[in-house]
Amino acid sequence: MTPGGPGGRSGQGGTGEEAWAAALAGLPAMGPARLRALLATWAPAEAWAKVVGGAGCSRPEVARACRPDPAGVAAYWRAAARRVSVADGWEALGRAGVSVTVAGGPGYPDALRLDPEPPAVLFSRGDLGVIAGRRVAIVGTRRCTRYGRDVAHELGRDLAAGGVRVISGLALGIDGAAHRGALASNGAPPIGVVGSGLDVVYPPGHRDLWESVAGAGVLLSEAPLGARPEPWRFPVRNRVIAALAELVVVVESAEKGGSRHTVEAAMARDVQVMAVPGSVRSPVSAYPNGLLADGCHPVRDALDVLVGLGLSSAPAPPAEARPVPGPEETPVLDAIGWEPATFDDVCGRSGCSPGQVGVALARLQAGGWVAERAGWWERAR
Amino acid sequence: MIAIVPSATLLGVEGAPVAVEVHVSKGLPGFTIVGLPDASCRESRDRVRAALLSSGLAWPLKRVTVNLAPSSVRKAGGGLDLPIAVGLLVASEELTAEAVAGCAFVGELGLDGSIRRVPGIVPLVAALTARVVVVPPDCFAEASVVGGHKVRVAGTLTELLAALRGSGPWPGPPDPPAPRPAPVAGLPDLADVRGQAVGRVAVEVAAAGGHHLLFSGPPGAGKTMLASRLPGLLPPLEGDDALTATRVHSAAAVTLPPGGLVVRPPFRAPHHGASAVALIGGGTGTMRPGEISLSHGGVLFLDEMCEFPSAVLDALRQPLEEGVVRVCRARATVTFPARFLLVGATNPCPCGEGGAGTACRCPPAARQRYNRRLSGPLLDRFDLRVVVSRPDAAAVLGGPPGEGSQAVAARVLAARALARERGARCNAELPAAALDALVPLAPEAARVLEHRLRAGLLSARGVHRIRRVARTIADLGGHAGPVAEEHVCLALSLRAELAPAEAAA
Repeated sequence: MTPGGPGGRSGQGGTGEEAWAAALAGLPAMGPARLRALLATWAPAEAWAKVVGGAGCSRPEVARACRPDPAGVAAYWRAAARRVSVADGWEALGRAGVSVTVAGGPGYPDALRLDPEPPAVLFSRGDLGVIAGRRVAIVGTRRCTRYGRDVAHELGRDLAAGGVRVISGLALGIDGAAHRGALASNGAPPIGVVGSGLDVVYPPGHRDLWESVAGAGVLLSEAPLGARPEPWRFPVRNRVIAALAELVVVVESAEKGGSRHTVEAAMARDVQVMAVPGSVRSPVSAYPNGLLADGCHPVRDALDVLVGLGLSSAPAPPAEARPVPGPEETPVLDAIGWEPATFDDVCGRSGCSPGQVGVALARLQAGGWVAERAGWWERAR
Repeated sequence: MIAIVPSATLLGVEGAPVAVEVHVSKGLPGFTIVGLPDASCRESRDRVRAALLSSGLAWPLKRVTVNLAPSSVRKAGGGLDLPIAVGLLVASEELTAEAVAGCAFVGELGLDGSIRRVPGIVPLVAALTARVVVVPPDCFAEASVVGGHKVRVAGTLTELLAALRGSGPWPGPPDPPAPRPAPVAGLPDLADVRGQAVGRVAVEVAAAGGHHLLFSGPPGAGKTMLASRLPGLLPPLEGDDALTATRVHSAAAVTLPPGGLVVRPPFRAPHHGASAVALIGGGTGTMRPGEISLSHGGVLFLDEMCEFPSAVLDALRQPLEEGVVRVCRARATVTFPARFLLVGATNPCPCGEGGAGTACRCPPAARQRYNRRLSGPLLDRFDLRVVVSRPDAAAVLGGPPGEGSQAVAARVLAARALARERGARCNAELPAAALDALVPLAPEAARVLEHRLRAGLLSARGVHRIRRVARTIADLGGHAGPVAEEHVCLALSLRAELAPAEAAA
């Protein structure tokens, strides 16, 4: 039987080439650069034939991407490709509900067409068409503070409500908070870009978020089915986030966090970067604060981002509904500041007795001014 | 010729009366002990023989049978050496039966005829109904604790024989050791703790209300320091509690205070390598009380609580609920007393710096694994869960000394007296059904709890616990009448949610 056939679900009006492209992407030792070189040199079916024949690196463009040992890589691919059935792989993709789009082919997102390093093959779940629209990436650390989580949630919510598609990586912390915010608003569809294969949910606790994003918007990956979340895949994934975004917002990230890859990729593509200011003492605000010092525009709320996109219409900010803190509560609220503090810290800083602080905290918490997590108190907003 | 001498053996922390029956008859010379003796008990034969010979007494060249009645109870230890020797002397007509009438004997024999102490004198003596009890000299104080018996001592078999025959005086009790300075003076004082306003409140409330307390904080925050101040705040043990604690300590062969009676609440701090049996009690052969029983009436302090195996920690749940622990083995089932104040200390994560979430170097998964060691039900038993941070440098170096233990202990004593008026040992034991009557809430206080309940931040059982702690706080402040908002809020603040499910990001 001839492998693959023109399938109705391969992108919009697929050409049938997607089956071979997907099979190529699934080979071991196949990174984005090598795949791009292969598919830039040959059509997918032809490239597959070359690889099976052991001539995968026969052209200098491909051999350059396979340095230092093109001959070894070609032999490795050949051995691996002979064990693979393209038809079976294509059926597995169909069963998983995953569509395949090839660079330059129909359905390939316009946003990536002119990119210097476009993903040669894009796996997706959901509607790829939602990428056409205004897009903002919200990125940050997995180990965020409550402040970062809340800001990411609010930005995601308000931007989606304003019709802006929120792009993020579905990781723990900032990424997940931004998408949960976007989903909560029932606004513009979310765009998730993940590092692992679309059937490998990572982190496992975010399975519900994966399904919601795929249901309401689109879930993208450059990795073939079954690809583990290996560390090298995340910087590569961050490049796709930067390439898709018209504007990148960094909420919280340590000085050497993964968000740096996204920001550097964005700057290399002339994509505007904005940052959420944070406490100068918080290690996870070090990077965004540094970006601000370098001249990035600050993000105080979704309106700042909309202005950055050149959109004038903005949802009216919700009116302050919280009760004004009374005279006993104000010193306690001031003592909490914007960094987490223990009950003991608050007593010490405010100079009040534990009893007074207890009453003030209960009132402030009831009013939505402060929140407690594992014994640590923080201002809510 | 037959002789019957009363004595006792140890079952857990209780004594069981044993009648030592010695039968001497003609026949092939031999010596048999029957009635479920354990190995150490069976060896009595050799100790008794050597002791008799060393004391210049004849070993009967006859058939000797010793029965330890009731024969269904397993006998352990060397405490039956002395009654066996006395019984043998009576049966071989070295002593008259009248000379030992109404006397019970407990003690182990040395090969030279000396009489040695055995563990568990307090419960052993308590199990005896004889008018006179003869014990080794250094057990005099312990044996006198029980009361109701005439306690005699004898240092050697020769002395004992002379006294029983009436040819010599009973040896006097040994001189009591020189009185040591009052025990409270030796305990660490709360005045040494600088800063730590919240930690101080927490130990005071724990001492006054008997609320279990969990500290979480980085190394050097003073968790151990605060916990070790608790025994100095607890009131002395009284009546039954003191006697029970003494019985347990005696049975476990823990050195008793000079007076014999355990009056200071014990403080036990087992290392986290402790096994479940060491903590709960049990063991093969003799059933030994565990750390939770040794801390009966006092404080069980588990430092580095998350380093304990979770199976060991979960074994604490039943005793925490019931105040006793039933240890069941194939040979016997023993109930140990175990009403203790549990104080735990833990780091927020393996590196110790976590909590706020930013300074921590641990991967999130490692933190979750670490915190999962404390199961939800166990965590729920802690009425007080306090996050402590390292104290301010200024407070440590130059701050004024805090309030001393003495002043705090006086407030604790007054609060405990109020709890007794309510019919409970302490506020933590107030029955849930009686809370509405005993702990009425002021309207503002009720509003605070209602808000928490509606927001899903508190369970119905959590409300009960908060009310008990609030009652204690009010008692300590000398506040009669309904519990006010201030007390409920402080109780809420002292009960941090320590093991959050990873909040939905």
